[in-house]
Amino acid sequence: MNRVVLSLAALLLGGCATSSLVLLPDDEGQPGSVAVLESKGRPTDAVIADANSRTKLGAATPVARPLGRKGLKAGEAALVGGLPPPAKGFILYFEQGTTTLTPQSQAVLGQIRQELAARSGSELEVTGHTDTVGNEADNDRLSLQRAEEVVGWLASQGFDRSIMTAVGRGERQLMQPTIDNVDSAANRRVEVIVR
Amino acid sequence: MRRLPFAFGLLALLSSSPAAAEIARIKVASGIAAIERGSQRLRASPGLQLLAGDRLVTGKDGRMSLTFIDNTRFAVGPNSRVSVSEFQYDRTRQRGRFLTRVDRGSLAVVSGRIAKSNRDSMKVRTPNSLLGVRGTKFVITVPQ
Repeated sequence: MNRVVLSLAALLLGGCATSSLVLLPDDEGQPGSVAVLESKGRPTDAVIADANSRTKLGAATPVARPLGRKGLKAGEAALVGGLPPPAKGFILYFEQGTTTLTPQSQAVLGQIRQELAARSGSELEVTGHTDTVGNEADNDRLSLQRAEEVVGWLASQGFDRSIMTAVGRGERQLMQPTIDNVDSAANRRVEVIVR
Repeated sequence: MRRLPFAFGLLALLSSSPAAAEIARIKVASGIAAIERGSQRLRASPGLQLLAGDRLVTGKDGRMSLTFIDNTRFAVGPNSRVSVSEFQYDRTRQRGRFLTRVDRGSLAVVSGRIAKSNRDSMKVRTPNSLLGVRGTKFVITVPQ
């Protein structure tokens, strides 16, 4: 009798003890997807693209099943709830060639302080962007230089230097799309990302 | 022969700078939650910087959450062992490679810029599968 109970328990446990993938919609409600490239060492073509689905891992042909009305298990819900908040970006504009913020950007500085204070283990990435005047290598250098200047300036405004990183993105991410070699104040900016 | 130590020293210096680059920061940690780095074991606490190769380990009441420099976000559940086996990221070009291994426990992920940069540039390995992350929010559970 005991043996029957034990083997039943083992079966039940075995049933639960399968690795699984739960795919959820992203913060914008898009489903996203995850490919199962290999299962038990063998390549598969499976791409899981159903939001709110559970897939047992390890099968030769992985199949996504809807979470249904039961939804996430308690442990999974707690885990998802414990994800850090998404990174948040702020844009600073300076008077040309200075570290004097434009009047509109003064208010943004206050918002950055608030966002930092609201987060645990927070950090700042200061990313410089240029317009398309000049070549790519020069703009990479210029944008990094600009970001470093702003990190120094933020430190002088009381921001903790040890939580800040300077990044130069050159002319890769234009705010206002232009052809090459166009002077644009909107593109010469510094983005501060709070994580 | 006498030059060797110097050459080795230089090599170590050259190879240590990219390896020592910060890849993520701990946001919240509770219960038994540690970062294993080689033979070191560091208590996970908010603001702690992670390096490529670090292992995230939690006990039965342990949890931690972290955000990577490419904006990927992790939450690690209790009784877990998760390794960041590979993390390379070019912050200027926003491209990179990211391999995470989930040996046991649970991991919630919201993928970031690396997953967007190239198909399957972000992968997750479990004991029986290899996953290519194409976006964005998912949970992996690996029972013991």
